[in-house]
Amino acid sequence: MAAISPDILSALQACVGTERVFTDAVSFEHYGRDWTRVHTPAPLAVVLPGSAGEVQALVRLALAHKLALVPSGGRTGLSAGAVAHNGEVVVALDRLDDITDFNPVDRTVRCGAGVITAQLQAFAADQGFFYPVDFASSGSSQIGGNISTNAGGIKVIRHGMTRDWVAGLKIVTGSGELLDLNRGLVKNNAGYDLRQLVIGAEGTLGIVVEATMRLDRPPKDLAVLVLGTPDMKAVMQVLETYQGAMDLQAFEFFSELALQKVVVHQGLQRPFATPAEFYALLEFEQHSDADMEQAMALFEHCVEQGWVVDGVVSQSVAQAQSLWRLREDISETISRWTPYKNDISTTIARVPEFLAEVEAVVSASYPEFEIVWFGHIGDGNVHLNVLKPDTLPMAEFQQRCGEVSRWVFEIVQRYEGSISAEHGVGLLKKDYLHYSRSELEIQMMRQIKKVFDPQGIMNPGKIFDL
Amino acid sequence: MKVLVAVKRVVDYNVKVRAKGDGTDVDLNNVKMAINPFCEIAVEEAVRLKEAGVATEVIAVSVGAKPCQEQIRTALALGADRGIHVEAEGRLEPLVIAKLLKGVVDKEEPQLVILGKQSIDGDNNQTGQMLGALANMPQGTFASEIKVEGDKLNVIREVDGGLQTLSLSLPAIVTTDLRLNEPRYASLPNIMKAKKKQLDVYTPEDLGVSVTSHVSQLKVEPPAERKAGIKVEDVAQLVDKLKNEAKVIS
Repeated sequence: MAAISPDILSALQACVGTERVFTDAVSFEHYGRDWTRVHTPAPLAVVLPGSAGEVQALVRLALAHKLALVPSGGRTGLSAGAVAHNGEVVVALDRLDDITDFNPVDRTVRCGAGVITAQLQAFAADQGFFYPVDFASSGSSQIGGNISTNAGGIKVIRHGMTRDWVAGLKIVTGSGELLDLNRGLVKNNAGYDLRQLVIGAEGTLGIVVEATMRLDRPPKDLAVLVLGTPDMKAVMQVLETYQGAMDLQAFEFFSELALQKVVVHQGLQRPFATPAEFYALLEFEQHSDADMEQAMALFEHCVEQGWVVDGVVSQSVAQAQSLWRLREDISETISRWTPYKNDISTTIARVPEFLAEVEAVVSASYPEFEIVWFGHIGDGNVHLNVLKPDTLPMAEFQQRCGEVSRWVFEIVQRYEGSISAEHGVGLLKKDYLHYSRSELEIQMMRQIKKVFDPQGIMNPGKIFDL
Repeated sequence: MKVLVAVKRVVDYNVKVRAKGDGTDVDLNNVKMAINPFCEIAVEEAVRLKEAGVATEVIAVSVGAKPCQEQIRTALALGADRGIHVEAEGRLEPLVIAKLLKGVVDKEEPQLVILGKQSIDGDNNQTGQMLGALANMPQGTFASEIKVEGDKLNVIREVDGGLQTLSLSLPAIVTTDLRLNEPRYASLPNIMKAKKKQLDVYTPEDLGVSVTSHVSQLKVEPPAERKAGIKVEDVAQLVDKLKNEAKVIS
């Protein structure tokens, strides 16, 4: 790792203040990577700007000294989008954490990029509103990062992705300009909506410094069902049955192995003793008793059809939370086996066929590996996790998983699916981007990047190479 | 052995409780209600006794307004055999509830009555003990483990700094502590079966009890809001503030 030159160090310090520039190993480890553990963090420096103006100054400095910048939010990403492994300057946005300009009429609130998702959720709740984008890492992830990865999570089926909640945003481009995009408007057909390009761009077009987020009314009296099913096809039939009759807030699934791991390692209670291959978790609002009656009637129908073998329903908020943990704690539980993660999607109707094909390839290729399936499925997104056997060295495990990934992605391509449903591309998936995007599409992405970032200093090497 | 288990309808413990604007009471409008967590543990223990072949019948009883039948149905879904609702309105004091439960005990003559050690709304921790006195039954409160042996009931109690084991003659009263068991989820098939289970409704008059109030609630107010903290510049300022403002060091 090349040490930082005194000139650049003092220039960075002049931008953000002496005590906001770090060059020690602990800071590099902390700010220089996300939840992936494939790359070794090796930035030049870490800086913590306190305003959009300071971010602009940093970009101008980067242009002058030919430095690359990597934005850093809550660092909970799973595709190495926020990894600095190549002498970049990490721009951590933690200090841009103001929540201001709450507007109950527009149902919007202005957030700095560094506002933590759970802080926005808590702020919304205090005002009698609701911020619906939610996932297991919401206690650490930041709004700027959510926007840059278009974070999805567990309520997508009802509330969509982060994209659907961004009413406006401010971004510092690779030329150091501050763009104020859409400014909170609901209707704005005056030309291209550049805001949408920035959402999900993983910081390759610029650094998001502020956003105006939309809020929703709070959900009413949520109930959670966990149903056991004999196979994946039945899971989809349950989804179709419930979605045809009710507005679901969430529809998640997980496999028996996922449940076993969570029950053992988190000390949770199994929902019921009846064995099942897969489990579906459904959440819905209870506006009146009729909603629960409807859910019960549908359950009876599913049992009669043989799609469901048993099921439970939450009787209190605490039970709803415990049932959610069966699904939400899976990622954390299996992290001890450093799983090889695939986050893939197809259209909802094709999920069972798609899953069967992927399963066949994966179990033929890794007969001795444990495969943990879970996912959102109500939106066509499944997470395939291959657990590393304790005895296998990491490098060999990665290599073997990488080989099979290609076969999995060929199936994804045949199903016209996505190789990254919600985690983004970052460094980990860029070699596979062509399975989901045509050469022409990728070429146009490169041209768009040039417009925002002519010198290529914004998170270079992520999503695609120039 | 017949087991009577009492359940109370309370505000769900995960709900943030708010006082009414006029300070007369807690605002219960549109608030999620649930079975009191300690009562849920009581139901679970009774059902386990039945599953173990010790109990022959489990009866769930609740005292309160009509909506508390929802919590009786929950108990029935968890495995109780039938329900009894003593319909009574207003703020019911522990003594009144204990008298009403005594009326049910006289009718049903259970060998064992299991109650939660306290409800999370009133926090009184009185009903079980009062029922013990009224019904002249031995009591094992704050139970973390119970076991029927012959005509005795062994109760392990959580007391300060340790455990105490009691042997009670039956019929007896047990109040549950948190560690007695982990309640199960209500299964959907059992919820449907619960709808068909018998639920009898009594009035206080049926049980020969007059509902009178000895305590009136004057005011309900939220806790004082915590003042925002400040950041100190350095250690010297911290020491100064601890000395001269907080006066916790000298």
